[in-house]
Amino acid sequence: MMSRKPITRRDFLKVASVGPLAGVLVPAAARTGRSPLPRQAEEKVRVVLVRDPSPLGPGGAPPAEVVQRMLDDAVRALLGERDAVKAWKTLVRAEDVVGIKTNAWRYIPTTPEVEQAIKRRVMDAGVTEDRIAIDDQGVLRNPVFQKATALVNARPMRSHHWSGVGSLIKNYIMFVPRPADYHGDTCADLATLWDLPAVKGKTRLNVLVMFTPLFHGVGPHHYAKEYTWEYKGLIVSRDPVAADATGLRIIQAKRREFFGDDRPLQMTPHHIQLADTRHHLGVSDPNRIELVKLGFEEGILI
Amino acid sequence: MTEPIVPDFQKLASFIPPTIGPYVSEADQTFDAETIFDYIDGAGEVYRSYNMKILVARRFHKDGKPDIVVDLFDMGSPEDAFGVFTHDLDGEDAEVGQGSNYKAGLLSFWKDRYFLSVYAEEETAETKGLVFELGRRIDGAIPGRGETPDLLRHLPAEGLDTGRVRFFHNHSVLNYHFFVADTNILLLDQKTDAVLADYGSKDDRSKVLMVAYEDGGSAAKAGVSFARAYMPEAAEKGIVKTENGKWTAVRVNDRYVVIVFDMIAERTAAARLDAVVALMNGRADRMQEE
Repeated sequence: MMSRKPITRRDFLKVASVGPLAGVLVPAAARTGRSPLPRQAEEKVRVVLVRDPSPLGPGGAPPAEVVQRMLDDAVRALLGERDAVKAWKTLVRAEDVVGIKTNAWRYIPTTPEVEQAIKRRVMDAGVTEDRIAIDDQGVLRNPVFQKATALVNARPMRSHHWSGVGSLIKNYIMFVPRPADYHGDTCADLATLWDLPAVKGKTRLNVLVMFTPLFHGVGPHHYAKEYTWEYKGLIVSRDPVAADATGLRIIQAKRREFFGDDRPLQMTPHHIQLADTRHHLGVSDPNRIELVKLGFEEGILI
Repeated sequence: MTEPIVPDFQKLASFIPPTIGPYVSEADQTFDAETIFDYIDGAGEVYRSYNMKILVARRFHKDGKPDIVVDLFDMGSPEDAFGVFTHDLDGEDAEVGQGSNYKAGLLSFWKDRYFLSVYAEEETAETKGLVFELGRRIDGAIPGRGETPDLLRHLPAEGLDTGRVRFFHNHSVLNYHFFVADTNILLLDQKTDAVLADYGSKDDRSKVLMVAYEDGGSAAKAGVSFARAYMPEAAEKGIVKTENGKWTAVRVNDRYVVIVFDMIAERTAAARLDAVVALMNGRADRMQEE
C-alpha cells in the first residue's frame, strides 16, 4: 500500500511567503492535498466581530448591560434581524432544552456576564429556566445537557500548550470522559467531537469571547497576564470553524505586534483547518468568511 | 545495579515550605501521569512526554494578594527533569537549582530528578521576591544533583548557543521546537533520546539534531526514513540545499542519527557533522559541562 508523502519543513519553506496564516496552517493544508491558497468565489459564511470600549470589570468582562448589547448587536447582524429576541427565536424554540456550554478556566473564563446574556435571550425565546443549564466540566452528568436539544457554545480564545489555541471547536472536549483521547497529533481531530451524539447537530450559536485573549503562554498553567490584552470583543457565528479561524487571525496579529516577528504558535493549531478540510465542520478559509465588524475599530488587528 | 526510583508524594511535598512571607498554603493537590489532565488540561501531554511520575501542587494564598503556585514534578530521572526544563527556555537566568529561568511571574528550574515551577498569578515586586525566595528554599531542600543527558557531550562547543539546547524524546516535542515533518519520519518514541541545539547568532542560526536509538539497526532505519522523506532528491548523498538557500545534512553513526539544518554552506554542513561524529567517537575535546 502506498503511504502518502510526508509534509516536511521544506514544504513550509516553499509557501511561507503566502501570508501571515501560512506559518500556522501550512502543515494541515498540505496534508489534505489541498492548496493553502484561498479558494475563490465560493459561498461565504458570516462571522460577526463586535467590540465595545467600555472598561472591563475585575472579572475581565465589560458591564453586564454592555455585554448584553454586544451580544444582541452581533446576533442581529449575524441573522439580519432588527430585533434581538426575534433573532434568538430563529435559533432556539420554546420547547428546546438548552445547554450553554461555557468554559471555567481559572484565568480566563467565559465570564458570568456572557453566560447570563445568552441565558436571558434563550429565556426570551420562550425556553423556561428549568430547561436551561450552564456548565463546563460537568456536562456529562448534567441532566439538562443529557436531554439537551440545543446547545450554545461560548468560551474565550487563548493560546494552548498542546492544541495551539483553545477555542470553540475544542470547547466540546468535556463531552467525552477521557479528553486525552483527543490529544493525538496535537489535537488534530478535535472536530470529531462535534459528531458525538450529545452534540451533533445541536449547536445553534457560537460565541468566542475576546475580552482579554491570551496570545502566548508559559509554564505548566500556560498563562501569564503579561500575554493577555484588552481586546474587548466577541466573535459570533453559526460556524465554529469560521469563528475560530477569525479569532486565530487576531491572535496571530497580536503576536506579530508584540514579538515583532511572525512567530508561529508553539503548537500549530492545525485542528482548525482540519475541521474544515478533513472533517467538513465549517469554513476556515478567510476568503470564504464574510466578516462583519461592529463597534470600535482601534486596535482591531483584522 | 541501581535501585529503582519510587515516586513519593510525601517526600516531594516535604521540599516545599508551608508558608512564605505573609502567605499560607492551601491543601496540596497530587497528580500522576494519568490524572495530570485534571489539573492542567492538555498541557499535561508535555510532562507525560518526559515520563513524569508524580506532581505535587501547592497554592499559597494571602487575602488581597495574587496567589503563588508551586508545581513540583518528580520526573523520575535527572535527564527528563533537565529535558522538561529545556521545553521553555525563554526568560532570564534566575540562578536557582541546576538551571533556571524567570519571566512574567514564572520561575522554572530543575534539580536532580525534579522540575519546579513557581508561579505568581500576577507579577508584583512583592510576588517576584516571594517567588524567588520560594525557589531558593525548595532548591536548598532538595539534597541531590543530577547529570545532564550524555548526548549533550557530543555537541561541538564552537558556535553553540548554550541557552538553546533542548532534550526530548518524541516527535510532537521536536515539532514544537522545530517543525521537521508532519509525520514521524525520524521514528522517534519514548525510548529515543534527542537533542536539538542552536548554533550561531540570530542572523545566522543553524541547528544540530542528534537522536540516540536503542541500537544501530534502528538508527540506520531512521536515517533512511529521514533522508527519503526530507531530501528525496539527495537521499543517497545525505545532503541537500533546501528552499531557503541553506543546507541540511544527515549522517548515521553507530546508534545515532545526526542532522544539521540551515547551514550556510555545503562545506560547513559537512564539517559540523564531522565535529559531532568526532565527539561521539571520542576523537575531539568534549563539550565542557557548565
